[in-house]
Amino acid sequence: MSGETPLKMTSVSKWFGGFQAVRNLDFEVPKGSIVGFLGPNGAGKSTSLRMALGVLSPDRGEVSLLGAPPNLESLKRVGFLPEERGLYKKMSPRQIITYFARLKGMSAGDAKARADELLEMMGLGDFGRSRVTKLSKGMAQKVQILSALAHRPDFLILDEPFSGLDPVNQQALEDLIIDEHKRGATIVFSTHVMEHAERLCEKIVMMARGRKVFDGTLEEGFAALGRAVHIGVSDGFDLQSTLAPAGFEALQEGDHWRVSLKNGQTSQDALRASIDLGAPITSFTPQEARLRDVFVSLVSEAEAQDLTDTLAADTNEGRDAA
Amino acid sequence: MIRSTYLVTRRDYLGYVSAWGFWLGLLFTPVIIGIFMFAPMLAQNTQPTRYFTVIEQGDAFTAALRENLTSTEATVARAMLDPLSVVEDSDSEALQSFDTAIDDGASVAEAFEQAGGNPALLPRQDFVEVPAPVTNSADLAPYLAGEALVDTADGPQPLFAAIVVNQETGEIEYWSENLQARTLISAAEQAEEDLQLDRALASVNVNRDVLRSARSARRSVKQQRLRVGDEAGTDTEVTQTDQAPFVVSIMMAFSLWFLIFSVINYLLMGTIEERSNKIFDSLLTSVKLPHLLAGKLLAVLLLALTLMAFWGFGSGMITWFMRDAIPPEVASGLGSLVSAAANPALFVPAIISFVLGYLMYGSLFLALGSLCDTIQEAQTLMTPLFVMLMAPLLMLVFAIQDAESALIQIMAWVPVFTPFLLILRMPTEPPLWEVLAQLGLMVATTFIILQLATRVYRAGAVHGAGVNDVWDFFGKLVPGKKSAA
Repeated sequence: MSGETPLKMTSVSKWFGGFQAVRNLDFEVPKGSIVGFLGPNGAGKSTSLRMALGVLSPDRGEVSLLGAPPNLESLKRVGFLPEERGLYKKMSPRQIITYFARLKGMSAGDAKARADELLEMMGLGDFGRSRVTKLSKGMAQKVQILSALAHRPDFLILDEPFSGLDPVNQQALEDLIIDEHKRGATIVFSTHVMEHAERLCEKIVMMARGRKVFDGTLEEGFAALGRAVHIGVSDGFDLQSTLAPAGFEALQEGDHWRVSLKNGQTSQDALRASIDLGAPITSFTPQEARLRDVFVSLVSEAEAQDLTDTLAADTNEGRDAA
Repeated sequence: MIRSTYLVTRRDYLGYVSAWGFWLGLLFTPVIIGIFMFAPMLAQNTQPTRYFTVIEQGDAFTAALRENLTSTEATVARAMLDPLSVVEDSDSEALQSFDTAIDDGASVAEAFEQAGGNPALLPRQDFVEVPAPVTNSADLAPYLAGEALVDTADGPQPLFAAIVVNQETGEIEYWSENLQARTLISAAEQAEEDLQLDRALASVNVNRDVLRSARSARRSVKQQRLRVGDEAGTDTEVTQTDQAPFVVSIMMAFSLWFLIFSVINYLLMGTIEERSNKIFDSLLTSVKLPHLLAGKLLAVLLLALTLMAFWGFGSGMITWFMRDAIPPEVASGLGSLVSAAANPALFVPAIISFVLGYLMYGSLFLALGSLCDTIQEAQTLMTPLFVMLMAPLLMLVFAIQDAESALIQIMAWVPVFTPFLLILRMPTEPPLWEVLAQLGLMVATTFIILQLATRVYRAGAVHGAGVNDVWDFFGKLVPGKKSAA
């Protein structure tokens, strides 16, 4: 792959009738990275990926795929697994993988050899010449994934690749993604299962309600959420007043206090200050940052913002009408 | 483009020809057509003989009825002895022998045998007269109701009908429990007409043979045509060769209609399969939409050509193997048809019409399929298209009678009908400007339909538009009607 950026979306918006599915989306996929494209259902992930591939045209903004607007030549270097799974039911897995590999430019001989190699690798060798209708759902999904990467693409776009797979096959797919990455492919996959993104991604892009709500590394994501420790104290003790002079913010959450760590403060600093200031400590738990918490926090914020915007718009309309 | 279109064409074509349904259609269509052609003959041979009786004082009407039924049998026998006798001016030797035997009082079977035919091949008699089991019509009821049987050469049988010549009222009554069968009633009506004619002729002392002589002395009306150019000075009488282009044009127009009707379903079903299997996104990131559509249309066009080649080759082989059994007149007729079909003035417009007609209808069905998840959904949209496709078939009937009729000339300007009607008009040698204008209009319409079909296909394949969106679209066109959405 030459030095071009695999994917760059600049101020991209998309409407379906009066509904705006994607709002002013900016993001970039660095070459050689694994990027997780996260968001709840209806966030606009699939629409964004379909625009990235040129299946849909943006109503506003620009898309650059491998250095140019999406076109057949650049698409030959891209492998795509769509969200909606489907295969030709009357064909065999070998025929399907060969067909799509040839559409992407491989010769007939290479495509057949590659199909055999991939089917063997994924444990589907015995089913290579069976009709797709004879395969289980998981097997059929594997075939579709294989047909997306049979032509050894430089850039893989996988839309919800883990959905519908059992844990064993999810692990196999994770391994496959890692292998493709080692081969040199840049990979973007969408998901709403955060654990996959935590294990695989160097960068994440989060969407909610058509907006990008986060774009950065995992560490940056955790930082956005904010670090904290949970400290339990004897009943009635006011930890907030105790720690305030030491520069800590504490907030009561049920039977414990959440102490935020800012400006280089560590969990040890919080513990030491509590002991020094005589707090009757019953428990101490440093908060483990999870991507899920980042996700829930950012998506909730976006939804709240969206609700506020909607209410404001309704109020303005009402005022205008009056 | 060529490679991706080729790959799509190849996949679709191999998918179609590897299906059982294709081979069943390929092999059984000629069988079904054959059954339709021979069904009337088979039905006649399998129909049981029906027995009737006549109650009459005297036998004048009965004799006339017998003569009429015998005449019908004789006509069938003559057609079997010499199938071309209906279009020839003079009778063959076999027919002359048959007629002589009939005039000498032989039965139809005897005359048929004397003329060299095998009486066993003659169709069974539909109606056989039996002696009246009763003399009074009031006593016929149990026989007509099937409660009593009549004696026949084949043993006791039910009585199908009784014809009573009522002396008191002077009317002829036809009694039968079967209210639908008209054949025997028609024979009785014709017999009565013949009888009254005989009586009228006798009253003025004229023998009925005078009519027969007059008939045989009639002059035939021979169709002529002007011969100009290279043909100037040759015989002006219209021949099989002159008629052949009209026959070929009708065959071509029907074949075009039949092929389009046979294969467009493949386009519809193939697209529905891709939509329901959710393959569009994978395809559209591998091949451009116009290339995809071109590949699909080409695949089904190849399928149509496969059908044509198979049936054409089969017909050719059968004709070749039966060449010695084909009468010279038939062989000459076939030769005229082949020559007419090979005339560029006919086959060039036919090929253009076939390709454009296929593209027009094919792209419409392709677009339709992209909007439907199931064949049930497609059926709701297919009806108007099928009606549009049935219209040219009805016009073929008019064209057979007069290809230059005003209806055909006007309808040939409607681009969706032009592919069929232009072929029919070609033997009438329409002005060149008309042919070119209609071809041009057809090309422009095909282009517009392809563009629209591509847009509809994109809406269905990319945006997931469905049948409801179509109704919604038409709903918006109706003034004052709100859309469903």
